[in-house]
Amino acid sequence: MTTQRTQDELGRPLPPLEFRAVTEAIVANVERVIEGKSAAVRLALAAMLAEGHLLIEDVPGVGKTKLAKALARSIDCTVRRIQFTPDLLPSDVTGVSVYNQESRDFEFKPGAVFANIVVGDEINRASPKTQSALLECMEERQVTVDGVTYPLQTPFMVIATQNPIEMEGTYPLPEAQRDRFTVRIAMGYPDVKSELAMLDGHGGDDRVLDLLPVSDAATVRRLIATVRGVHASDAVRQYAVSLVTTTRESPDLRLGASPRATLQLLRTARAVAALEGRDYVLPDDLQSLAVPVLAHRIIPTAEAQLSRRTTDAIVADIVRHLPIPSERQRSPYDTRGQYDPGRR
Amino acid sequence: MNQHRHLTLVAAAASILAALPLSGVFSAWTWLVDAVIVVITVAGVALLVRSLRVAAWIPTAAMALAFLFVLTWMFQSGQELLGLIPTPRTFAHFNTLLLNAGRDMQDMAVPVADREGLLFLSTLGVGIVAIVIDLLTIVVRRPALAGLPMLAIYSVPVAVRQDSVNVLPFAAGAAGFLWLLATDNVDRVRRFGRRFTGEGRGVDAWEPSPLAAAGRRLATVGVLIAVAVPLVVPGSNTGLLERFGPGAGGGLGEGVGPGGAPGRTVDMYAVLSGELNNSRTFDMVKVTTNDPDPYYLRFGVADEVTPAGFRARSPGGGQPVSSGLPVPPIEPAVGVAWRRYRAQVQVTALKMNTLPIYLQPTKADRLDNSWLYDTANQVVYSRRSDSQGKRYSFEYIDPEFTPEALRTARPLDSSNLIQRQFTTVPRNSEVERIVSEITANKQTPYDKVRAIYNYFSSSNGFHYSLQTKSGTSGSAILDFLTNKQGFCEQYSAAMAWLVRAAGVPARVAFGFSRGSNRNGETWTLTNRNLHAWTEVYFERFGWVPFDATPASSVGGVESAWAPDPTRQQNASSGSTPADGLPIPGGPGRDPSAGPDPARADRLDGSSGSSGAPAPEPTPWPVWAALGAAAAALLLVVPALWRTLLRRRRSPHRIAGPRPLAVTTVAGSPDVVVTDESAIDVARVRAHAAWDELIDTMIDHRLPVDPAASPRTTAERLITGSALDEWAATGARLLGQAEERARYARQPLRSDDLTGSLRTVREAIAHRVSVRTRLRAIFLPASVLGRWRLAVTEASTRVAETVDQWRESTVRVFSIRRLLPGARR
Repeated sequence: MTTQRTQDELGRPLPPLEFRAVTEAIVANVERVIEGKSAAVRLALAAMLAEGHLLIEDVPGVGKTKLAKALARSIDCTVRRIQFTPDLLPSDVTGVSVYNQESRDFEFKPGAVFANIVVGDEINRASPKTQSALLECMEERQVTVDGVTYPLQTPFMVIATQNPIEMEGTYPLPEAQRDRFTVRIAMGYPDVKSELAMLDGHGGDDRVLDLLPVSDAATVRRLIATVRGVHASDAVRQYAVSLVTTTRESPDLRLGASPRATLQLLRTARAVAALEGRDYVLPDDLQSLAVPVLAHRIIPTAEAQLSRRTTDAIVADIVRHLPIPSERQRSPYDTRGQYDPGRR
Repeated sequence: MNQHRHLTLVAAAASILAALPLSGVFSAWTWLVDAVIVVITVAGVALLVRSLRVAAWIPTAAMALAFLFVLTWMFQSGQELLGLIPTPRTFAHFNTLLLNAGRDMQDMAVPVADREGLLFLSTLGVGIVAIVIDLLTIVVRRPALAGLPMLAIYSVPVAVRQDSVNVLPFAAGAAGFLWLLATDNVDRVRRFGRRFTGEGRGVDAWEPSPLAAAGRRLATVGVLIAVAVPLVVPGSNTGLLERFGPGAGGGLGEGVGPGGAPGRTVDMYAVLSGELNNSRTFDMVKVTTNDPDPYYLRFGVADEVTPAGFRARSPGGGQPVSSGLPVPPIEPAVGVAWRRYRAQVQVTALKMNTLPIYLQPTKADRLDNSWLYDTANQVVYSRRSDSQGKRYSFEYIDPEFTPEALRTARPLDSSNLIQRQFTTVPRNSEVERIVSEITANKQTPYDKVRAIYNYFSSSNGFHYSLQTKSGTSGSAILDFLTNKQGFCEQYSAAMAWLVRAAGVPARVAFGFSRGSNRNGETWTLTNRNLHAWTEVYFERFGWVPFDATPASSVGGVESAWAPDPTRQQNASSGSTPADGLPIPGGPGRDPSAGPDPARADRLDGSSGSSGAPAPEPTPWPVWAALGAAAAALLLVVPALWRTLLRRRRSPHRIAGPRPLAVTTVAGSPDVVVTDESAIDVARVRAHAAWDELIDTMIDHRLPVDPAASPRTTAERLITGSALDEWAATGARLLGQAEERARYARQPLRSDDLTGSLRTVREAIAHRVSVRTRLRAIFLPASVLGRWRLAVTEASTRVAETVDQWRESTVRVFSIRRLLPGARR
């Protein structure tokens, strides 16, 4: 994400009230079609505001694609969809140069990734070769074809859905690509009430098609600018680093989280804090995000796998036991000794 | 378990070995039997308990209990249940024994006989040391520290014995300590599995390893050096004149008499200084005599001089007094008056194996065959009985000499036995220089003695004080001659020393000064009248007493041949009293004018504290009340500390300008502070309130999760303690304030922190049991925990420092460093 646009290109940050109105509108819009999944929807939106990519992993039929489509439709921007099939080729994703008879030159035909939101459905049904085509665009927000680099627009977000690896006909995502997804969420089954409501509403047509955009790309850019301005104190940064470092040192894990994970964890925490109407990040934000942001990047040891400990459980365990840094902001009262000892 | 058993046994053996130096204090070996019984019992109990799987502290507790039982059994008061279970009477008995031991220590000289109090003390000490050694070695696993209690035992004989202490017990104690260390180390190594011995064969668990030979050699060399070095270094005799104490075996009436009655070795110097310093005054002897002007009552002699000072020789020889006393050869001479008198003595509180008498006794009545008369020392002594409660009477001759008569005495021939025996004195050039200065131009022995006698006068700067000053000259006699401050001990011994150095036979006599408590012919002598003076031998006249101690200070007697030097100078220098008879009405003469030592003390400026009648002993309820008060005070210290901390943390007490500029940030529901200095204040207040809340939770035994954020902690508190709405709001406010203070740009400003804190605290206290609430008040876990942490950290720091220091020392002194190729 090194090529992310600067503050000026993003636009001015939104005032808090406006920010709140816009984000609430998006969430409400999505919730019109996804009942009872407020947390997942907010997390998805947070991933977008954190300039990240979203991976929705769950069993078939719980509304993964619907969430992706609803989020994409709620914003008035270019949306492309790629249906990942086993015979999909990398050039289908990135684009291809074709020979133009008239201009007698090769002409670049942009692929599906040239959009603000790319919905990659069933991403793990394509071969790893094809999936690798996403690596450059997801991280660097650009596509290089035939030696020419084409930048992507902002916002740029990949929303991918996938079935768990145990399902038939799936390939595992490469570690490099998993690491590029900021947040992985699971939809989970809806509760009885939501499912009943769904039955009522889904009687006839697809309501996703009825969704109208409530925002546009420019507004989203300003939302992103707002999120970037959320304050993360030293203690919070320290805590983020400790969390990620602990995954690297955990005896249950063969591969811990990367520095990119630290970065994305803090970014997402900023987004979550902003969505909750705060202009500062809390350790609570990091705690609630640790599993969605970290769990899909790490690889457990053979022993942990044998004892059926999931990565989610391992990360949750780390969060439960890692003390919060109690380091406080420096105050002149400390040095003057007017208030000291009983400090914890 | 096996190695614990082994270590327990070694610790017990080491305890016994470490106790061996006590043999220098006791004359018999009974103490060792007692000590061995105690150590074996205690160690046996430890073995038994350790064979069960119990917590680490239980064996130690069992040892202490067993120790109490065996102590009760060995020193019974007759009031115990089954002879084993102690009752309050037992402890009273123990207390008596300890008091007795304290008294014995004050007036007995080493080596002491088997006194029950002292035996109790030694057994108690050895038992405690055994338990401590066991605790340090097996429970704490720090056997090196066990050297400290061992050293404590060893310091006892070193402290009480004037002369050198025997090497063997020290070596035994050191060997026991090294054995303990070695066993512990072998045990440590064994825990890692098989021992490697370098011999390529399996060795038995406790077989010494050949690899450890170097260590063993080092240990042996260390012990040898420790023993040998003091033999080479010249010993110093500093401070010995201050006590003039007799060395080993020098007491009067040593050991156990043939009759089997336990004798008592009395260090007369110890008795003297002990009783003179005793705050209590009590009558010791009543004597009735028809002598209008009796000299000192006398019961002992010290004539053997060592660098350590004069020491008493046990009286010997002689014949039973019941068969008559040898009548001294009386030579009629000009200027000498021999008068016969008769005296009755009643001893009330003096327990010695000699009897106080006047010189020169000629006939004694009402004394049985056990009392003998030592002609040389002129002392009546017994090997079987003691003086306590004795009533007896005797006739005696009180000689009076004129200076002129004494001046006729010629120096004794150098081959004379008395001359040889009583003029030996350690050579000291400084003393000899002083003596030759004093006795310059003096021809006769008497003139020399008078010159020396006058030398000690107050006009020469000497003054009487029960407080002696230690000097730096390295020689105790020189210290006294330089500091010129002391009491009869110093005066008598120093004069005898100087007289001997001048070549005139002299010795130190012990007894009572005459005092001032006179009722007709009866003189009552107290412990304050105990005294020492000098006796000088003159040809044809025998032993003549000289008391160099200022007469006014001790209720002394001034004699014609030794008048008070100060007054004598005032009257007319050089002339002596014409009639040669004592001057009536002199300060030492008049019983009412002669101040007793108690009064002397007051005159010395010690404001009557020791001279005044001893204050009534404080009754025990007062002590108990004081102790209870102290305990109560100790109990409330944590509570006080906690309260102080709470006050200091009270948000509205935290100093600082009140936030002035307050703006509401658009869109934020909270009031936030924008003024820079006010931000700091608000932040500190929030922290203080939060700290107080957390400490309150800790005090009330509520779980505090370090992995939970302030928000989560507050929520958990609300649900966990089921706080009511009001308190829940307060807790949330505190959590929010802390959260913002920690993580936000702008802290929350709230004036309600104090109120919220109080509400939450009351709600918490309301929710917990009474017991928890009381504990929260009196034993606040937050304070105790912080103290514990501080102690742990401090000890860790100390350990680290010591370790670094040790490491650097090892690096500097390591021989390995010098070996090529050993460098890393």
